[in-house]
Parts: sequence; C-alpha cells; structure tokens
Amino acid sequence: MAQEARAEFTELLAARGVSRRDFLKYCGSVAALLGMSEMYAPQIAAAVGKLQPALWMAHGLCTGCTESMAQVDNPDVPTVVLDLLSVNYWETVMAAAGTQAEDNVAATVAAGGYVLIVEGSVMLGENGNVLRIGGKPGIEELKTVAAKAAAVIAVGSCAVDGGWVAGAPNIANATGVSKFLKDSGINVPVINLPTCPVNPEWVVAMLVDVLLMGELADGSILKKLDDMGRPKLIFGSTIHDNCPRRGHFENGEFVVFGSPTQAADEAAGWCLYQMGCKGPTTQTNCPLVRWNHRSSWCVEAGSPCIGCGNANPITGGPGNWFDASAPFLTRHADVRLPGIGGVQPSTIGAVVGGVAAVGLVAHGLGSAAKGRVKGVPTETQKVHDAKMASKGGDK
Amino acid sequence: MSHEGHYREAHPLIFVVTHWINLVCMIGLAFTGFYIHYPFFAGFMYGARAIHFLLMFVIIINLACRIILAFWVKTANQLGTRETDIDLKNWLPQKENKYQFMETVKYYTFFRNTRVISAKYGALQKIAYLATPIITLFMAYTGFALYTPAHSWAIWPFFAAGVSFFGGAMGIRIAHYFGMWVVILFTMVHAYLAAIDGFKPLWGLIFLWRETPGDEH
Repeated sequence: MAQEARAEFTELLAARGVSRRDFLKYCGSVAALLGMSEMYAPQIAAAVGKLQPALWMAHGLCTGCTESMAQVDNPDVPTVVLDLLSVNYWETVMAAAGTQAEDNVAATVAAGGYVLIVEGSVMLGENGNVLRIGGKPGIEELKTVAAKAAAVIAVGSCAVDGGWVAGAPNIANATGVSKFLKDSGINVPVINLPTCPVNPEWVVAMLVDVLLMGELADGSILKKLDDMGRPKLIFGSTIHDNCPRRGHFENGEFVVFGSPTQAADEAAGWCLYQMGCKGPTTQTNCPLVRWNHRSSWCVEAGSPCIGCGNANPITGGPGNWFDASAPFLTRHADVRLPGIGGVQPSTIGAVVGGVAAVGLVAHGLGSAAKGRVKGVPTETQKVHDAKMASKGGDK
Repeated sequence: MSHEGHYREAHPLIFVVTHWINLVCMIGLAFTGFYIHYPFFAGFMYGARAIHFLLMFVIIINLACRIILAFWVKTANQLGTRETDIDLKNWLPQKENKYQFMETVKYYTFFRNTRVISAKYGALQKIAYLATPIITLFMAYTGFALYTPAHSWAIWPFFAAGVSFFGGAMGIRIAHYFGMWVVILFTMVHAYLAAIDGFKPLWGLIFLWRETPGDEH
C-alpha cells in the first residue's frame, strides 16, 4: 500500500515537472522552516509521500485562505504536496458536487484517521443556521467531521477565534474551531494558524509536522504548540523583533502622516510605528517567512502591520485580531464603551485628565471663596469623640 | 495655611530622599512612556526605552526601600508634633480613621467648615497612599507583561496570565496606558491638596526639609 502510494507520488511529481532533486530541495527548506536540520529532508520527503486523507471544510469564510493557498505558482512544490494530501473535500477547488461531494465526506469520516482543515469562522448564530452545509447547520457538520479526525488544523484567523467575523458587534455569533470543539466535548488536537489570510508555507509546515514521523501519534506535536494552540516556532516572537525596519525604530526614524518629508521617509524605509503599525503586539514570523512565494510581506511592501496574527482562541470572543487592532492607523485599538462605541484610549485619558484639572481649579476657587487657602480653623474635638461624650463617654 | 507646625519629624530626611526619587522617576517615566506610546519628535526612541527601563527599576527598588524603612523609621504621629511612632503605623489605616472618613469627605465637598483632626495623614490620604504602591506594582507588572524579552523568562506564566486577563498584547498595553493616567490623576490631586493645605510649609518640608513653626505650639 505504502509502496503503491510512493509510486503514485513520484509519478505525480514527474507529471507536474518536479524533479526528485527539486522535491528534496523543497523538503530541505521545510526542514529549515521547522527548525530542523536539512538532514531530515529525506524523512520529510517520505512523510509527505504517504497520501494522507484530508478534508478542507469551509465555514464562515471569504475564501481568502484558499486564495492564499492558490497564490503559489503552478506547478509549485507546495501545490503538489497539497494535491498529494488526497483532499477528499474542498468546496472551492473540488470537482465533485452535490451528493457525490457529501458522499466523499461521509466515506472519509467513516474511514477515520484524516486531517481536518477548517477555513472560516464557526457561526453559532440562529442555532447554527447562519451557515448551512449539506442541508444541515454548519456546526452539526463540523461536529460530525471533527469527531473522527486525527487532527484539526484551523487555517486563518476566522477558524482560529472567529477572526474579523467575530469583531464587534459579532451578530453572527462567530467563534473559533478550538473553542467550539472544546465546548462541544470533542477532544481532538487543534493546531491554530491565525493571520488573515493564512500563510500557505505554515500550512505545509504543519501538515508535514503532523505526518512527519508520527508526531501526532506520539503527541509530540502538541508540545510544539503554545497555550493558544499555535506552533511556537511560527508564532513565538513579535513581528517587531524581526522587522527589517527595526533599526529605524530604535533610531527614532518614523514615517509620519502629512509630514513634509513623508514621501522621502517612506522611500527610505523608515519605521511605520506612528502609522499605527501593530508589529509590536503581533506574534508571527511574517518578516522571516514572508508571503506570496516568499517575495514580500505587508511591512516590506510599505503598509503598517494591521495585527492579523493576533488571536484569542481560548475565549473565542473579544481579543480577535480585528477588535485587538482596529482602527488600523492608530497606535492603540479602540476601547468599546457601552452606549458610546469605540473610543481611543488617549481620548479617554485626555478627557479624564481635563475633567480632573477643571475640577481641581473649581475646587481651588471654592476653597479660596471659603477662605480656606488663608487658613481654616480645625475642629476642637473629633466628631466621633463628641458623639461618644454626648452618649456618656467612650469606654 | 494650616496652623500646625511642620517639623522634620513628619518627614525624616530619608523619606524626603525617597519622595524626590519617586518624583524624578515618575516625571521621567511619564515623559518617556508618552514618547514610547507616540514618538512626538524624532531620534529618541532608543534613549526613551532605555530611560524608561532604568527608571522603572529605580522606582521599584525605591518602593521596596520605602516599605522596609516604614518598619524601622519613626515619624510624627500627629500633625504639628515632634512625637514619633513607627512609620508603618502612621501609614496604615488606624482604627479611628473610619469615623473620620465621611467627615473628611464632607470637608472637601464643602459640607463642613472645620478641618478634621486625624493622625499624621487624613482618612482619604491614607487610602491614596496605600493605593500608590499598588498602582506602582501594577505598572511594573503590566510593563513586564508587554516587554518581549520577558517571554523567555521562567516567570513568564505569571505575566502571561495578565496578558490573557486583559485580552492579549493590545489589552495589556492599554491597561498600562490607563495606569499612567491613574498616576497622573493621583499626582494632580496630591499636588493640589498639598498646595491648598499650605503650599509653603508642606512643599518646603518635603522637598527642602525646611521646618515651619506653628501658630499655637
């Protein structure tokens, strides 16, 4: 069986114009991405050749993550590897339709041992009827397919914690896969890969990790995850720490909106901190892995980071990257005050400070009017003592 | 101006020093903190961060010294007296302060005309002075929680709990920012009250360690 699969894999590689050498080279770069020696490349090659069954389920999504996966140029090794996953269901790209597609899901679930990839938020609103899949509420479908999965990979912020779909006011009552499965009592390891959209390199890295040398079977994959279920290697340091513009930050060289030198400063690659860059509060390795076939990424392209790698899969509500980062061009996120809406913390601080200053001036005028500033008589006896005395003395 | 004498026993020299350190650190921390929040002029980020970290350590060590000294140093136990007691007793709330609380509130809201006799500090003052170590430690805690190198420390889970509590890295940043405003409000009210209750003797004593004799004693 394994032999068959290996032969099929090699043929598929050849059919797509990927030589064995190219493939091993790619496996070497995956090894480097995972923080392993290139020595492991042959083992990775063996691992990805196994044709692991997988389901790619679409929930409350914009297909951005699928788009992101498609951005790798064809025939590219990541694409080949993902094709070789034997993805039995992937709404956006599969050929099957209707009952045939549903049958594919049912057959895969019945066989078990597959990797479940979820894209998009879990929508709980209207008893799960905000999103219906195959004639039933999306959440029912998710429960069915997750229960028998070997592992779940939540790709993109929406699948991780609801993402921007869960941003205030969150009328669809969106949440993340890990929280939903935990609340439903389904105990499957979930690997969270936030960012909007997901970086395809990370998906490949995780698929290899899950398959590689039985990391899932012996549970060692779970030790590589942080408390939010994110791979530590990918989400362990802030964008700020690895940013190519960091030197300009330390030098105090910032691009400022509307300054006379804005264009020149932008051209010089100065720091985007004052433009509201959320790099200091966002933990991903975007500056190292980069995007779109490792060609560039947001900050390199001249945009401040908007913090799409922030996630809150534990409580699944506020703390999603949208609530934690919007508005994108200010230093702080808005604080939501009941009845008022989003307000900048600096506005709140200035208003409270201003009111206090006015209050103190008013109090000072009042004190002056009462003649207190020039000295005021102190009581001759403490009020409590006087009370006690009138009651016959304090014993 | 109050009528009591302002003697050095109220604020022994060592506490004049700790008060100075607090003042310098707080001004420095507030300034560099606002700069780090939004760099309103160019070229100072490295310096601002270095000064912010340094002054944070200074103010925390100063706070620790101030608390330890409170167990040893004797301070005046009443206004206008040279009679002393262990400072901690004068700092912590005393039994009768609860009777003075409402009276003090009435005095400052103009519902009462005569000043309230309390111990060295008034009832409201004690609450404020007990709050200052707490807010200082809160600022240090939230500050470390948003300091990336702290992620690799063994004690990190202690800070990670706070990050989760405030809903992530942005939440703890905003908490740290609001904490700064609490310190600013405290300082405004503190300086204002010290000014209207007798600018010259009070400020002279705490900053210059200069005594002012009272009218009656």
